[in-house]
Amino acid sequence: MTTRDLQPRTEPYRIVGTSPAHHDFVDKVKGSLLYAADWQLPGMLHGRVVRSPVPSARITGLDVTAARARPGVAAVLTAADVPNNQIVELASGGLAELQVTMPVLAAGRVRYTGEPVAVVAAATQQMADEAAELIAVDYDELPGVFDPESARADGAPRVHDVGNTLVSWQIRSGDVAGALAAADVVVEGEYRTQHVEHAYLEPEAGVGWVENGVLTLRVSTQVIEHAAMIAHILGLSQSKVRVIAAYMGGGFGGKEDMTVEPYLALLAWHTRRPVRMIWDRQESLLASTKRHPFVMRYRTGADQDGTITAQQVEILGDAGAYPNLSPRVLFAAAACACGPYRVPNASITSTAVFTNNVPSSAFRGFGAMQVVLGYESQLDLLAGRLGLSRTELRERNFLAKGDLLPTGERLDTCVEVAQTMHRALGMLGAPPRPSGPGKLTGRGIGCNRHPYGRTIWFRDRASAWLSLQADGTLLIRSGVTDLGAGQAASLCQIAAEVLGAPLDDISIYIGDSALNPPAGGTFATRQLYMSGNAVLHAARELRERIAPVAADLLGVPADDLDWAGGHVRAEAGGPGITLAELAAACDRRAVSTAHLSTWRAEAGSFDPRTGQGDTFPDYTYGTHAADVEVDTETGQVTVLRYAACHDVGRAINPMRVQGQIQGGAVQGLGYALTEDMAIEDGYAQAALFADYLIPNAQDFPDVLVDIVESGEGKGPLGARGIGEPPIGNVAATIASAIHDAIGVRPDRLPMTPERILALLDGRHP
Amino acid sequence: MRLLAGARGEAKVLAGGQSLMPMLNLRLAHPDLLIDINPADQREPSLDGNTLRLPALTRHRVLLEHDLVRRGCPLLAEAVRYVGNVRVRNRGTIGGSLAHADPTSEIGCCALASGAQVVARGPAGDGQSDRTVPVSDLFAGYWATTLAESEIITDVLIPAARPGTGWSFHEMVRRTSDFAIVAVAVTVNLAERNGAIAAAHVALAGVADRVVLADPELTAGLMGSTADEDLDAAAARIAERLEPASDVHASGAYRRRLARVLTARALRQARARAAGEST
Amino acid sequence: MTQRQITLIVNDRDHELWVAPSDTLLDVLHDGLGLADVRYGCGEGVCGTCTVLLDGEPVSGCLILAVQAAGRQVTTLRGLMGPGEELHPLQECFLRRGAAQCGFCTPGMMLTALDLVRRSVSQGRGRPSRDEIRYALVGNLCRCTGYTKILDAIEEYADQ
Repeated sequence: MTTRDLQPRTEPYRIVGTSPAHHDFVDKVKGSLLYAADWQLPGMLHGRVVRSPVPSARITGLDVTAARARPGVAAVLTAADVPNNQIVELASGGLAELQVTMPVLAAGRVRYTGEPVAVVAAATQQMADEAAELIAVDYDELPGVFDPESARADGAPRVHDVGNTLVSWQIRSGDVAGALAAADVVVEGEYRTQHVEHAYLEPEAGVGWVENGVLTLRVSTQVIEHAAMIAHILGLSQSKVRVIAAYMGGGFGGKEDMTVEPYLALLAWHTRRPVRMIWDRQESLLASTKRHPFVMRYRTGADQDGTITAQQVEILGDAGAYPNLSPRVLFAAAACACGPYRVPNASITSTAVFTNNVPSSAFRGFGAMQVVLGYESQLDLLAGRLGLSRTELRERNFLAKGDLLPTGERLDTCVEVAQTMHRALGMLGAPPRPSGPGKLTGRGIGCNRHPYGRTIWFRDRASAWLSLQADGTLLIRSGVTDLGAGQAASLCQIAAEVLGAPLDDISIYIGDSALNPPAGGTFATRQLYMSGNAVLHAARELRERIAPVAADLLGVPADDLDWAGGHVRAEAGGPGITLAELAAACDRRAVSTAHLSTWRAEAGSFDPRTGQGDTFPDYTYGTHAADVEVDTETGQVTVLRYAACHDVGRAINPMRVQGQIQGGAVQGLGYALTEDMAIEDGYAQAALFADYLIPNAQDFPDVLVDIVESGEGKGPLGARGIGEPPIGNVAATIASAIHDAIGVRPDRLPMTPERILALLDGRHP
Repeated sequence: MRLLAGARGEAKVLAGGQSLMPMLNLRLAHPDLLIDINPADQREPSLDGNTLRLPALTRHRVLLEHDLVRRGCPLLAEAVRYVGNVRVRNRGTIGGSLAHADPTSEIGCCALASGAQVVARGPAGDGQSDRTVPVSDLFAGYWATTLAESEIITDVLIPAARPGTGWSFHEMVRRTSDFAIVAVAVTVNLAERNGAIAAAHVALAGVADRVVLADPELTAGLMGSTADEDLDAAAARIAERLEPASDVHASGAYRRRLARVLTARALRQARARAAGEST
Repeated sequence: MTQRQITLIVNDRDHELWVAPSDTLLDVLHDGLGLADVRYGCGEGVCGTCTVLLDGEPVSGCLILAVQAAGRQVTTLRGLMGPGEELHPLQECFLRRGAAQCGFCTPGMMLTALDLVRRSVSQGRGRPSRDEIRYALVGNLCRCTGYTKILDAIEEYADQ
């Protein structure tokens, strides 16, 4: 029995709010889309990165002669061959932030297992792999440190000479100490989360070549703006580096930092031949960036009636060996550490610490995701202590439009989280009974507040260029990159709505740093908000410019014109002209039918010393609910039913919105129950894809989805971002359900059968 | 056989390839010679009196679907549902599986519990030097068998299930199609006169460096029993003896605990099946 | 390693190719023949992105040597479409149901589903249930969709 699709809610729109299957979707179903590895050029070489087998060492010897001498090998490069051997993350403005750069190829020191040490290009992949094995590296192992608590302690081995604490953020409002002392009840909890891996089905890949003096990379990447960093590494002018983003086979933040780019760039530039690089899956598991494990300590104070009066939160994130986006992730965690609740007195400290583990960086949810387990667990524990229902306690404390966040910001859009909570629970229906002896069932909920759009003080902007062609078709050029969530297709839908061009008549060209107006990377759930607005405004501004021409031809005021079905009419259903005729008329009158628009997000500022100021432009609120069954003999947890509801503002394409929520929720179920990129003493314990347990089609339920369309989002037509939010609620929802079933709260992820048994044992000592 | 015996350098036999090819892809094995034996045998499963004869190249999918297997060794047909996925079952073979000797192997587990034997052919290749090896003498440790380097399994012989035999297969796995954390295969025979247990075999996977058959002395206490408590007690005794290693998926202590739970469940279900009760 | 000449029959067309004995079918289809719908995902046979039909049966292209496929029928997703790229009814169902996001797992999913439905019907078991579809797809991993829309699309096709 198939599941119910979200119904289109189109009023007052024609295309927006429907779910047409178009653009990249058709190519994907045909199997004809070309991903980054689906590209071959004459004389193409094959690349391989050589990586450190140890987590912390000095390199005392590096001999590439045998590798270079191997027949078929075109290049073997090391740190000495990199003109500017440093990847620099711009300072983010946190407290005591260390300035640490990451080398492209390790120079004298390695800091994590898998750190790149050399790179090889050869005529075949096999030759490159054999040459890699011929490279002799001497490692003089150094003491390493593998968890942030140890790394922060005095006398810990230094990952970087300047120190191990990368950055700290603090948010202080009101008088937390006083409020906690005066509280009727204080609940304490410590929560620990794990390293997880993006596990996109398409491994990191790309091809680099030099064309007419321009270093060109065609890669699976979320950010074409890395072209500037690549130019810096090679000592080239920024105008001589071009990055083309192929449609990705999944990104999730794992392709937000550079992956293959610097190695392809070095090899292609050095050999002046095309080079392809595809990371092995096992290489990706080992060495690609991961989600930050967090240790979170919460103290929550409340009155007897359940009103929260104080939250004291300490977050410690394992940044791994290099900064990457850690400062940003821990910032987002700080900004969202109190969840969708009013907290008049708050003290939040969020710290990123270096270790000799694989670097942590962006992963769907980006810090604001891990903390949901913290704040939702505290709410459930509080409810239990006070004898209030979990829904009642939440409703007493939910934020509302106009309320202040702990940073002093006032919420300027509506907060419909209560509605999402009731809808999510409503979808579950009657609670199920246990399926047999030794089984316990339970129901849980998890609410979240998740930001969309970049941190405000980055003054985000995105551009888009639109052209009405002579034949009446529409051409969009945008630097947006597409990781499979309809980033490109949504822009076509918006343009179609405004200009009335049929979707089949719209072409979009994306992700080319040389040819497209910059749109910023696809991350931070920002593309619909930024590029969606850019295209919306570009389309409206273009229409405004050409409307008078149509108005003149049709003899009606420009505002009365109806734009639909490839025609412009005096009124809906009335006489009109085709878009091609309009384009011709504009041409005769020298009215340009092409338009570039840059949309700028609101600006703001933040004071890291006080933790007061502007953080994110807006938030998406949602609730998940689940029924689980626990086998008390084996500890196994079966998720029987799962429901998710988010306020998406406006669903541009309801089917894609539903798909994002289902996909995010299931990814979250993996995080909650089965995924663990366990690292011990700097060595990954799961080396094979067979050992890294992502959800499959059998063991995970269908996610029931409902949406609220409050219309107050800051994206185009009132939309809110939906890419990241749905992954946040899941772990908390499952923990809540298990808690309901067995009477003990899991506080550690993933919630494996073994850990559940231990909780049950603890209950019966 | 001649190619295998005469190989210069390292030679490996390629059957289903579902275990060997990943090792080549991951550059963990570098054989000089691969001998593809897939075309070597087109025989189908057959019944030889009371013995189910499965050619070594019988694909897992055939074990799942073939009528003779479903009737002659329903334990195996059931357990193969847990082996890999559709693609693995289309290519993987029973001979390859036993020769690979994975300590978590469902097929190895069932072969042990059923009292199966393998026919191993030597370099002469003419059938004259064939040996029949009980599966209980086949596994020698992590991915190791007692077969000589120049021997290949050609057949698997399984005593066909007799009326009054009960069987059960239980597995704990984190996701369907993963390698088993712990699996248990049980066969039970009941005495005709009073329905009490007359024989019981318990094999376990995921609890040691090889698939193991529980020591008969541990199930001896079941003989003549009709009570569930005796089954649970036997399961506890069997589990107590185990010293499973820990790995990223489960600790040794948890595996031992699962062994007790799954063995108890399997014994109960096997006995119920033997007695003709609906399960 | 000395190359060998083989004939592969791919989507009903003969291809004469020189291959190394160590080349996998995936290598030859993707790099040799430029078929972008057969993809490297893991090299272990667990992810399903390299699924092809070999004489009608789903197999992992990364676990078969090209020489083993010589003279046999290899079908990739593109082989299901009509000569003018007309969509197979299963593809139409995927489109209607929104059953692809990044699309990387899609060819493997469809080939596996097709095999399931064909065999279920030809073996007289009627159309597969949703649970049977889940079980058949367990070796085709998807990271984007959460599987629901894929199952819906296959059920819709099976109903047809």
